[in-house]
Amino acid sequence: MRCFIGIDLGSTTTKAVVMDENQTVLGRGITNSRSNYDTAAAVSKQEALVDTRLTLFRRSLEAVPGTADVAEAVLADLERNFRHIQFVEQLEDLERTCIGNVKGPRFAGREKPVIEALAETFRRLREHSATQFAPGFRRKSDFFRDLAGGDFMHNGEAVCREAGLAFDLILNIYDKSIIKVENRPPAGDIEGKFVRALEMESLDQSLIAAPVKSALSIPLEETYVVGTGYGRVRLPFPKEHIRSEILCHGLGAHIMYPGTRTVLDIGGQDTKGIQVDPAGIVENFQMNDRCAAGCGRYLGYIADEMNMGLQELGPLAMQSTKQVRINSTCTVFAGAELRDRLALGEKREDILAGLHRAIILRAMSILSRAGGVKDQFTFTGGVAKNEAAVRELRKLIKENYGDVQININPDSIYTGALGGAAFAVRAVLN
Amino acid sequence: MSAIITAGVDIGSGCVKTVLFEIDGDKTRWLGKELSRIRSRDPFLLADEIYDAMLSKAGVSRGDVAYVASTGDAENLRFATGHFYSMTTHGRGAVYLNPDARAVLDIGALNGRAIRIDGGGKVLTYKMTSQCASGSGQFLENIARYLGIAHDEIGMLSQKADNPERVSSICAVLAETDVINMVSRGISAANILKGIHLSMAVRLAKLLKSIGATDGVVQMTGGLALDTGLVAALNEALVKEKVALVAESHPDSIYAGAVGGALWGAFRHQKLSRLEAVAA
Repeated sequence: MRCFIGIDLGSTTTKAVVMDENQTVLGRGITNSRSNYDTAAAVSKQEALVDTRLTLFRRSLEAVPGTADVAEAVLADLERNFRHIQFVEQLEDLERTCIGNVKGPRFAGREKPVIEALAETFRRLREHSATQFAPGFRRKSDFFRDLAGGDFMHNGEAVCREAGLAFDLILNIYDKSIIKVENRPPAGDIEGKFVRALEMESLDQSLIAAPVKSALSIPLEETYVVGTGYGRVRLPFPKEHIRSEILCHGLGAHIMYPGTRTVLDIGGQDTKGIQVDPAGIVENFQMNDRCAAGCGRYLGYIADEMNMGLQELGPLAMQSTKQVRINSTCTVFAGAELRDRLALGEKREDILAGLHRAIILRAMSILSRAGGVKDQFTFTGGVAKNEAAVRELRKLIKENYGDVQININPDSIYTGALGGAAFAVRAVLN
Repeated sequence: MSAIITAGVDIGSGCVKTVLFEIDGDKTRWLGKELSRIRSRDPFLLADEIYDAMLSKAGVSRGDVAYVASTGDAENLRFATGHFYSMTTHGRGAVYLNPDARAVLDIGALNGRAIRIDGGGKVLTYKMTSQCASGSGQFLENIARYLGIAHDEIGMLSQKADNPERVSSICAVLAETDVINMVSRGISAANILKGIHLSMAVRLAKLLKSIGATDGVVQMTGGLALDTGLVAALNEALVKEKVALVAESHPDSIYAGAVGGALWGAFRHQKLSRLEAVAA
């Protein structure tokens, strides 16, 4: 089938959306951005195609009588098995790379214990990986770097302590290796992995093997790809395949909510206020200056500082019962202020709520410079997934602009890629 | 006046440092030193741990120490006798490490400060960097980690640069993204690091000018004093800015604050003892 793909190469994450010719979304994919943009684009596209396969499985299962009530559970199992296979494959690559990096004067005469410590660390990582992909387990992140990294720190430190080695040695090897591993083009054979995922024990073969295999046999043709976002100029695409991110965000928001007039997009490193006309065409916009305070990276930094996943920040901040005012503007200083306040015995959730308020206050000033908020208002970008940020935003919009309809879509991180995919459809069909 | 033993404990935002001295009139003997990176642990517990480790290596018990000086963020340290401000301890520690020092540049994980001192290490004037982390130690460390470069390789690599890439971005957090971009444009780690060192150096040179440090030796203290690449870049920047200062570092520069604390602690202890003797 013909696929139209939009890729939004952001500073922090790279998103891809696959559409059919009727502008129906078939799949979405996301990965962390890395120094090799081609790889980031290729991985996000592959993820979106994996998601497209899952959509095709769903359609194919729904056509089989008697699977209606188990379809979702079966698909969830299938996806989890698939992810686990993928994860272990990358873990093996990382282990090989780490062991290959134990060389040079830093390790002279210590190679053997270092390699043994690495092998033991990875043995524990593999052992633990099954629990990461067990039903109902909430993973800290969906990106290999975060999943492997958190586990590596935790297990590596323990292994080194037992072996009497300096953890810094091993951490440095990890830093060197993870960059190499994540910048390699993604391993292919998606269909083969799905077949293996299907053969894992948790799935009832008799019922679903046939529909899944029939859906796997549909060829996915990449008809037209459009790139946008922070890294768009460095994508390996011809010029006519590149669109400005402001245009893509405006159109993406319009596709999700045709009544949109104002868009706030808080991404990794920029915050944009955009005004669009009834057709989704941009009329006016404003952006922040180059400072991480007030964008997604601010929260990312705080998450690292607290040893938490980015997705865990919002829920914790929601439990706050007391207003804490954060005095630092600079992200790094806010991190230090957080440490100081924790040391003084302030509650984590209260400090976090204050940090969330700080980021939204910065966004409000950008919106007012972009001409304020008109009805309907659509909030997009990665931070729109954060419930604590959304709560603050609703409060401040109501205080400043009265009762405006606020649209927030759980998939709003894909808005730019969605606009890109729509441009891809238009490029071919118009 | 018999010999006394004093200690200095310096808690920074990245590291905890402790030192131990024996002081007899104007003769000093350095008995022990210990440091540990905080890495999101409780710095006060860490200070306790490494203080004890240092004492046991030196064969000294807690009771033998006449004065424990705290400095930096260690103000609430339970076992401290008294606290000294960072300016005064870094000034004193710098002169101990290098008697020629007439200015100090203390660059830690978050803050930088320039201090002008006299020959005895007394503070004449000082100035801090602003409330923004661009060019701090933390910033440099994040970038090195991203490049997969160990802490102690930064300086050496930076000095191998043949075509430093100037960093335009100011923000410490977003500068990392610029680095990702540079890597993807194929710029070498050496040239990236040197570019960052140079942009830091230009700002530090201006900071030194602003406190009226015009000639002589500026002693680097704090964690970044160990970064030979930064020291070299600073000396290049000072020549360019036509300032007759020479930046120097010392292998023990990171202990400067703790050293200054232990030395001022001895001074304060002796003053107190004399007062007590008079009172008795």
